[in-house]
Amino acid sequence: MRPILLSGHERSLNQIKFNRDGDLIFSVAKDKIVCAWWSANGERLGTYAGHQGAIWTVDVSPNTILLATGSADNTVRLWNVKTGECVKVWDFPTAVKRVEFTPDGSRLLAVTEKRMGFLGTIVVLDINYDGLDVQAEEPSLRITCEESKATVAGWSFMGKYIIAGHEDGSVSQYDGKTGEQLENVQAHEFDHQINDLQFSPDRTYFITASKDKSAKLMSSRNLAILKTYVADTPLNSACITPKKEYVILGGGQAAMDVTTTSARQGKFEARFYHKVFEDEIGRVRGHFGPLNTVHVHPSGTAYASGGEDGYVRVHHFDKSYFDFMYEVEREQMRR
Amino acid sequence: MSKPGNRADWADDEEFDDPSALPAQQITTNKDGTKTVVSYYINDESKKVKVTRRIKTTVVREHVNPQVAERRSWSKFGLEKGHAPGPSFDTTSVGENIAFRPSVNWKVQAAEEEKNGGEKGGMKDQLKDKKVKCRICSGEHFTARCPFKDTMAPVDDSAGGAGLEAGDEDAPAAGGLGAGTSSYVPPHLRKGAASGGERMAGKFEKDDLATLRVTNVSELAEEAELRDLFERFGRVTRVFLARDRETQRAKGFAFISFADRDDAARACDKMDGFGYRHLILRVEFAKRTT
Repeated sequence: MRPILLSGHERSLNQIKFNRDGDLIFSVAKDKIVCAWWSANGERLGTYAGHQGAIWTVDVSPNTILLATGSADNTVRLWNVKTGECVKVWDFPTAVKRVEFTPDGSRLLAVTEKRMGFLGTIVVLDINYDGLDVQAEEPSLRITCEESKATVAGWSFMGKYIIAGHEDGSVSQYDGKTGEQLENVQAHEFDHQINDLQFSPDRTYFITASKDKSAKLMSSRNLAILKTYVADTPLNSACITPKKEYVILGGGQAAMDVTTTSARQGKFEARFYHKVFEDEIGRVRGHFGPLNTVHVHPSGTAYASGGEDGYVRVHHFDKSYFDFMYEVEREQMRR
Repeated sequence: MSKPGNRADWADDEEFDDPSALPAQQITTNKDGTKTVVSYYINDESKKVKVTRRIKTTVVREHVNPQVAERRSWSKFGLEKGHAPGPSFDTTSVGENIAFRPSVNWKVQAAEEEKNGGEKGGMKDQLKDKKVKCRICSGEHFTARCPFKDTMAPVDDSAGGAGLEAGDEDAPAAGGLGAGTSSYVPPHLRKGAASGGERMAGKFEKDDLATLRVTNVSELAEEAELRDLFERFGRVTRVFLARDRETQRAKGFAFISFADRDDAARACDKMDGFGYRHLILRVEFAKRTT
């Protein structure tokens, strides 16, 4: 497969998202612009300018009408995807590390950083699509993380729960309506931050990527750890591929540790694991720095990775990817 | 405007066939549904160039989500505002091809590949538990390093196969004569004789056995690239790319020496006819210069 290299950012990538139809890719980096790309050919549709700081996170509404971004300038911005206009700015006391729409797009959660005497919070904002610039001023729900700040969060199936990954390596489940904490599981090693949390297509389970060099597949309903994928490097991102039963992990030594640890280039690779058998089945090279984010096309035909090197690489899978099967899978097919 | 004004000079006569004029583009439709377009243009060296293109038109019908189709018509905005449709070169490029073949024992394969490709693998592992044995004094050093090499003749040791010999495995039969009989054997034929000349000759001979001559190499070739190309087949000990002394461009041929003759044979087999930088390589075993 020939990757498409997108070099629209000047600094390291923070998050990449495909929209639900998979025709657009949104990428955010430490520079202050958001880029929208056509996934098929890598053409840039446009940029969304307005943030005053590094942009940590991006998400697009399921109908591809609104785009939400969270930035180090302490704001969440809502953009009109089609025109590139900013339709709403919410101010917060601290930086926003993660935003995500509910599966129906009616609500948006934002994870705010713990800093300057403010505790980390998860806020829920109601989204209105009738008049895009008429949005509720105040969050409809505010969850304060008293123990360990949330670093990532997302909505489970039908927005029933909010699942959050924490700085101390634990994963917690909150009620999506009341914000009450229902579960808290120390999924990863203590004090190893969870860097990413992405859901399966039906949102009944999700994968976490942690600094403790492992990724875990967990159930949304009861936070049971279903699978563990062990890597040899801290992980920044992980995603679950539809269509084929794989997971993609992205990582690499933290940029600040590159000079102090063994300098084998190979750590900057996207790692493919079989979702069920937990075996590593292959790697895709290409980035010059650690992978900060991976996201897979909703139909499972492509994935995009963004690295510390400032590049987005979009890979459309070729035949060998779809053909690969374990012996037991093949047997199952024959029956 | 007037007719006489227009045709002031007979040289401008329309009937006159201007040699610099370009024939019109011809489009012919072939039987198999393709079109042949013949066009002419004048290139930078002001030469007339004929271009023949054969065009096959295929209509691909694709069903897309109406929302996606609607989005395709969106105009660009932000930094891209006003740019022409299609990917622009400053933001979008295509990377080199990546072979991605998932496999169950991926780790084992990767380790093996590294072993074969890396400098430290292969030969070194094979020789790990072999000991160096001097042919002169049977000490644990190379024959060439033997302190007695100038004063003593090599021990005639027919069972010397067990130990690794520093010299050539393919010692010439005449060398065996050297120590056994009383007749004079010139130094270059003596078995294990460590004189400079003999060693050099021996080395070349060994090299030749596993050296490939590669011809029809592109002018823009690089030694490192050739090494990469050939290292897949085994350890490459030497890559020599003939270059022009003035322009430093490749002259079109190269020599690749392998550590192992089998690897060389395999490389010769596989790489002969390999397309490299738009040229088709010709690979054969190098012949001895003498």
